[in-house]
Amino acid sequence: MAPVDRPLEVNIVEKDFPAVGQRARLPVLRNIKLSIARGSFVSITGPSGCGKSTLLNIIAGLDKDFTGSVNTQEGDLRLSYMFQTPRLLPWRTVEENIRLVLPDGESHDQRVTELIDRVGLSDAATAYPERLSVGMQRRAALARAFVLEPDLLLMDEPFVSLDDPTAEALRQLLIELWSRRPTTVLFVTHDRFEAVMLGTRLIRVDGRPATVVQDIPVNLTVSERRDRDSILAERVRVFQDA
Amino acid sequence: MVLDAGTTKAGRVGRGIVGSVLSGRFGWSLGSFLVLLAVWFVAAAFANSRVFPGPLDVAHTLVRELASGELAYHVGVTLARVAVSFVLAMFIGCSIGIALGRTKRADRFFDTWLIFFLNLPALVTIILCYVWFGLTEVAAILAVTINKIPNVAVTVREGARSLSRDLEEMAEIYRFGWWKTLRHVTLPQLAPFFAAAARGGLALVWKIVLVVELLGRPNGVGHQLNIAFQLFDVSMILAYAIAFIIVVQIIEIGVLQPIEARVNQWRR
Repeated sequence: MAPVDRPLEVNIVEKDFPAVGQRARLPVLRNIKLSIARGSFVSITGPSGCGKSTLLNIIAGLDKDFTGSVNTQEGDLRLSYMFQTPRLLPWRTVEENIRLVLPDGESHDQRVTELIDRVGLSDAATAYPERLSVGMQRRAALARAFVLEPDLLLMDEPFVSLDDPTAEALRQLLIELWSRRPTTVLFVTHDRFEAVMLGTRLIRVDGRPATVVQDIPVNLTVSERRDRDSILAERVRVFQDA
Repeated sequence: MVLDAGTTKAGRVGRGIVGSVLSGRFGWSLGSFLVLLAVWFVAAAFANSRVFPGPLDVAHTLVRELASGELAYHVGVTLARVAVSFVLAMFIGCSIGIALGRTKRADRFFDTWLIFFLNLPALVTIILCYVWFGLTEVAAILAVTINKIPNVAVTVREGARSLSRDLEEMAEIYRFGWWKTLRHVTLPQLAPFFAAAARGGLALVWKIVLVVELLGRPNGVGHQLNIAFQLFDVSMILAYAIAFIIVVQIIEIGVLQPIEARVNQWRR
């Protein structure tokens, strides 16, 4: 049975980085067992360099060198991954970049045009990525992630190193796109405000090797997610910080 | 008076255009070319020798060879050989380069081979090909191709080594498959290296083709040069050399540069 309608099961017993030259074997992840319901928006947070990206890469199937299992590679699960950098093809236009991820034989002209419009890139559709600002490149990457209508969307600090208004606009855009077409999202960030604002469930990983130290639902309504004070209050509850 | 003003204005505009063209890059090229021609003319007049003809003699020979159709035939034959061996060398060299750039173990093993062939004198390859396969067209093409392959492979290998892991992961996530990955991710990254290999390649190939023709072919520019050499006909040697320089420049400006411009249009 395809895992499209089953929960996403992640069971990482052990993940180490192999020894290189003088550097010894480095333990990264231990005993991470997660069951993620379809359609939930999970924020994964933790200090920089604790192994969050490694966790996503394992779930994405990019990193197969670990002990344990994930069920994302079974069946015809459609997966999108928004990386820390946009990773657009510089020699293809914005629109070509978005179209290219569609499987051969699927064109979805209307969906492509609509998405480009929704992320505000209608005027830049035929431009090459390197001629656009970083914020616009990320919007293109966001459209590319959604055009596939993925069953699972992985996001690795996609709004990092942007100025506040740009990052905020992109977060709102993400909420809008996600509420139009809910899908399972794993959103990695070290920004606690962002984690609470976007997630319906929050998972904190920490330690060396990293394990799950907290797994808690986020109780915010859609309208509360637009209100700074509600988010701050929920952040205090979730993280027990002042 | 009105007319006067008009003329002056037109005159100024005319001078402006001619002036800007002459002081531009084209003007400099034209000027230096004319000076070279003049130096040649004066030197040849002083030498006053059959083995150092002036530009007029050479131009005369060039026109004569053009009119008889000899020049077009031999240049055509040589160009065909250049084209075939160039395409073969690019295709094989690029394949080897990509393979070596992608697999460390193969690279380590074949590196010695590559250095050997890179330093093998062109003349040795040509002689060996003719000795082993006879004075045939196949041997000639093979000799030129073998000479060129290592250069292409080394250039493209550099490109293949520096392929972006980030974009490769992106292609894997979005299930591009091998063909889509090759066409949209890998080859565009290698394009500058293909261009460098092609550019250096053409210059090398057409020089080696002339040697191959000189040593063992009954036609082509190299063969004509050989005959001219035996007759001490320097005017003919220069006429063929100039004709070939012009053809190569036309290919460079008319074919290679437009392709490069098209491939690079996405750059900032």
